[in-house]
Amino acid sequence: MSQDSQTIKTAHQIVMQKGEMYVGWSTKEDVRKRGGSGGLVTSMLAAALEKKLVDAVVVLKKMNEFEAVPIITSDVNEVLNSAGSLHSVPSNFAKLIANRNLKVALPAKGCDVRGIIEQGKRNAINLDNTFIVGLNCGGSMHPVVTREMLEVMYKIKPEDVHGEEIEKGKLIFETKDGKEHAITIDELEEKGYGRRESCRYCTIKIPNNADIACGNWGVTGDLAGKATFVEITSEKGAKLLQNAIDAGYIQVQKPDEKGVAARSKIKGVMEGLGKKWKDKVFVPMDNRLEYFRKELENCIDCGACKAVCPTCSCGDVSKCTEFHFRGDAYRMSMYHLVRFLHLADSCIGCGQCADVCPVDIPLTRLYRRFANPVQEQLKYEPGMDMRKPPFFEAKLEV
Amino acid sequence: MSDSTESKSTDINKDSGEKRVGVFVCECGVNIGGVVNTKAVAEYIGTLPGVKVTSVNKFTCSDSGQADIQNKIKEHNLNRVVVAACSPKTHEPTFRACIEQMGLNQYFLEFVNIRDHCSWIHMWEKEKATEKAKDLIRMGVERAKLLEPLQASEVPVTDKALVVGAGVAGMQAALDLADMGFQVYLVEKEPSIGGRMARFDKVFPTNDCSICILGPKMVEVARNKNIKIMSYSEVKAVDGYVGNFNVKVEHKPRYLDVTKCTGCAKCSEVCPVEVPYDFNEGFGTRKAIYVPFPQAVPLRAVLDKENCISCKACAKACQSGAINYDMQPGFTDLNVGVIIGAVGFKTYDPEPRHDFGYGLYDNVITAMEFERLLNAAGPTGGHVVRPSDCKEPIRVGFVNCVGSRDKATNIYCSGVCCMYTIKNAQLLKEKRPETDHTIMYMDIRTPFRGYEESYNRSRNLGVKFLRGRPSEVKEDPVTKNIKVRVEDTLANEIRNLEFDLLVLATGIVPHEGINQIQQLLKLSKAADGLLMEAHPKLRPVDTTIDGVFLAGVASGPKDIPYAVSQGSACASRATILLKNKKAITEGITAVVNPDVCAGCGVCLPMCPFQAIKMDETPYLNTGIKKANVVKALCKGCGTCVTACPTGALEQSHFKNEQVLAQVKNVFKFQEVVA
Amino acid sequence: MSSEAAAAPKTNGWEPKIVAFCCNWCSYGGADSAGMGRFQQPASARIIRVMCSGRIDPLHVFNAFLEGADAVLVTGCHIGDCHYVNGNDKTKIKYKFLENVVRELGLEKERLQLNWISASEGEKFANFIRDVTEQIKKIGPSPLKPEGVV
Repeated sequence: MSQDSQTIKTAHQIVMQKGEMYVGWSTKEDVRKRGGSGGLVTSMLAAALEKKLVDAVVVLKKMNEFEAVPIITSDVNEVLNSAGSLHSVPSNFAKLIANRNLKVALPAKGCDVRGIIEQGKRNAINLDNTFIVGLNCGGSMHPVVTREMLEVMYKIKPEDVHGEEIEKGKLIFETKDGKEHAITIDELEEKGYGRRESCRYCTIKIPNNADIACGNWGVTGDLAGKATFVEITSEKGAKLLQNAIDAGYIQVQKPDEKGVAARSKIKGVMEGLGKKWKDKVFVPMDNRLEYFRKELENCIDCGACKAVCPTCSCGDVSKCTEFHFRGDAYRMSMYHLVRFLHLADSCIGCGQCADVCPVDIPLTRLYRRFANPVQEQLKYEPGMDMRKPPFFEAKLEV
Repeated sequence: MSDSTESKSTDINKDSGEKRVGVFVCECGVNIGGVVNTKAVAEYIGTLPGVKVTSVNKFTCSDSGQADIQNKIKEHNLNRVVVAACSPKTHEPTFRACIEQMGLNQYFLEFVNIRDHCSWIHMWEKEKATEKAKDLIRMGVERAKLLEPLQASEVPVTDKALVVGAGVAGMQAALDLADMGFQVYLVEKEPSIGGRMARFDKVFPTNDCSICILGPKMVEVARNKNIKIMSYSEVKAVDGYVGNFNVKVEHKPRYLDVTKCTGCAKCSEVCPVEVPYDFNEGFGTRKAIYVPFPQAVPLRAVLDKENCISCKACAKACQSGAINYDMQPGFTDLNVGVIIGAVGFKTYDPEPRHDFGYGLYDNVITAMEFERLLNAAGPTGGHVVRPSDCKEPIRVGFVNCVGSRDKATNIYCSGVCCMYTIKNAQLLKEKRPETDHTIMYMDIRTPFRGYEESYNRSRNLGVKFLRGRPSEVKEDPVTKNIKVRVEDTLANEIRNLEFDLLVLATGIVPHEGINQIQQLLKLSKAADGLLMEAHPKLRPVDTTIDGVFLAGVASGPKDIPYAVSQGSACASRATILLKNKKAITEGITAVVNPDVCAGCGVCLPMCPFQAIKMDETPYLNTGIKKANVVKALCKGCGTCVTACPTGALEQSHFKNEQVLAQVKNVFKFQEVVA
Repeated sequence: MSSEAAAAPKTNGWEPKIVAFCCNWCSYGGADSAGMGRFQQPASARIIRVMCSGRIDPLHVFNAFLEGADAVLVTGCHIGDCHYVNGNDKTKIKYKFLENVVRELGLEKERLQLNWISASEGEKFANFIRDVTEQIKKIGPSPLKPEGVV
């Protein structure tokens, strides 16, 4: 394979730089076929591993159409054979690579990137050794909800699903018999299906906080569906892309102006929708104490929400757990009070906590109630840059 | 009271095992006993689990009260002691020592304040006060059960001292320390030592010539083998902690070699540049290269590069070839065990606010300017003249409390202005009996030896005292005389006075450098902008930073004898450390539990003393580098503990569970009666 | 205010319980000074001493509310006067976060208060306790107070 890459040389030597945009695709046909959008991300990750830019790569190993598990691998073939993106695998990679001291490259949705950066601020991830390939993300779906949605809304058996696609505001499922089933996302979400709630009001659609931001928005004309649009957002990102080109894994060209404009338009529309959702979900309310007590009533103190939280860097022992006693939490949970406080500046709204809650407490929604005012007031966006969480500042200027 | 019948073989210093609490309720005469029903309190507290004995004393702090504690410790094999009395801020050390004598760790004492925080503030609500006392002691008992033994640790002390500021206070401190045999570095930012006192003409109440008494002291400092004077130098960085301070001193370039300069001032004679002479408060001029004043120590010239025109005339004139125009700042690194700050003050500047016409009218001057005019070595050779026409004034008015005792400037009393005004009036009156003096004052304050006598003397000399503050000061455009409208508040009448010269008794204010020294030494500042002592009464020259002491006006207005005493006091306090060659550091510190620490490092910027460092290597096989507290640097504030998200950081003696024990016991369950 | 009238019956003889966290150097001294000056105040506050207001852990504040505090006071040295250089700057930040939780949770703002009180400001301390007690008497016991707790 490496011999193969020797033969395909880039036409002219391009020196990648921060701030530049390209459209590119994998040079490997099988990768192009299996992965979406020309397989650029998969090939770029494989090249990073191949050329020892990193020691490991995180990829999704597909179990079925609704399940995939993230794995850390050093095997180039495993990377090349990995799943690509799935809309119903909303796992967060930040904690996966935390405290492992890895030299790693990984694909990451906006919230993954934010989690990784927050872990970086807390010394759990060395960002200098972490190459973050950001993926545009319009939202992801909870696998359990997706199954239910297929049966209730689409009237198809989840097992029959062969592929999925989003086009013109519609979520399309392709069944094994070759038929396409389409319903608008608006309609799905109206009925409580579709994207996870936190994704609806998320406004990080193009992850410019990653080292390189990749996605299919802005790929136009003949290349549509066959290439990936990339924006280099850091020196590391430039290195990653350059490495893949030099290794012969990918080819790139400059995007056309129409593409660049289209991409930023989609971004704007998506962000606007996110903001609308935010206003819709977080309506001011009276009787808040009663609301929180009601919502937290069923909490069984399993601690799953903390374990999965990508911004929490505590181990098993932490203030929220050690000083929580059910007896004292007679009217309100101490565990959640401490988490409300600790997450006020750090919550990235990834939705993981709500996903894993065994008693279905809409935790992200609760945490955001506390985080929204603080983050707005302090003009702090966790996971977007290296600014320290304000709670740990010695003096606040704002 | 539940007297114990159980085994008495428990080791009293073992932290594990049964907690045996003794509670000692003090009546403080009637201070507590007159309000709180101490018997009822003791009875209730005796029912709490773990309380083995309770006792009520008239004065727990008295010998018999302390003996009672010690006897009960023995008798009941107590391992925790709760004293419910006054404020721990005054009496905690007493009782800590008391239980330590019995072999108990001193941190096994819990002090509950039922006087200042209870009986004194609820004097008319005896029942509520009694209930509150019960709550407070219950909180204390539960906390006491969780107290852990602590050991204060020792650090070695370098037996050298740094004195910052070579005014009269700093000089005294340096001399005392040097005479006791310790090496002293005396850093002064001006080219000469001597400070403000060197500028005074005479000093009250005895009216000695200031430089005549200070000069010999300055020479003594220079001659002392144990003192290294670093004049024209400033402290730039301070690192470390008690016993082991690393200090970086910058030596500003004098642009001449001090080892060659003889102070002959030939250079000044030829220098063509003249600038206002700051030593004379801007009266008269000095050259761009000059010897600060005739009695300067070290008696060396200094070149003021800002005003130098590089004509090189001085280099030609200098017979020893000392001039060096390319001189660069030098630096010295010092390692000292203690630091004495005697950084001084400046006088209030009435110019920006034009207090009483200062800065608008020529014949309104400050007392410091008057002082230089009086001085035989001053710009006029000792003739007091008025600036507008250089005539000697006949009618002189003095306004007291300018920049003092005034909400618009500084609310505090500067303490010295009454006396120096009295002195100034006396001196001029003696020199020229035909002069007429009126002192306009708010109150005359003459508290110390000879002060009241001096005041009487000036009255006898004919100095007039008018109680009132000028409401209007105007200049006669022709004569340039100063017209003052003032209410004589004793006679209850408005007076319109005319003076040839008006002298403002400007107060004491912090100088610009005080913030820098505050930050370098990590000191606190009081509301008046001057530096704060550890305790205003009982530790007046100590600071909250171990090994750092304050002398002189930097910590509040003082006169000369007071400043000198403080210099000596600092030397004496410092000697305790220097002589013992060791210091005891705070027993209450932050502690990291590495098993819990996640290595996130958020605690590092919380510490203003840089006491937390991340380990260089990962802890055991965790792969995580953990936080580590440098005990000698930790002052035990616990701010890092609050920030720590895991709870790995704990503050000894104020551990989370110890504080929470109090929080939980503020409340008690009461059966709800339907 | 109409709420005042509505709350009036509750306040009959009812004394709120207020947990006041004080720093060793300033506000605790302020409470001492209040005593020395005999500034009378309601017997509602229970003072808990910590070395620095920076040590007032939100954890402790939450715990006080869960245990039954009708109000919690966070007090320390005036800004610029901290015995530990800038502990109170950090208190200010922690308090901001605490305040946010308490507000969003739906507790009345009177239930959590911050005040800088120096060791010499005894009268200020007494007035503060009196004011807070009055405010709390108007709004009644904390909704987080467990039943049967006094």
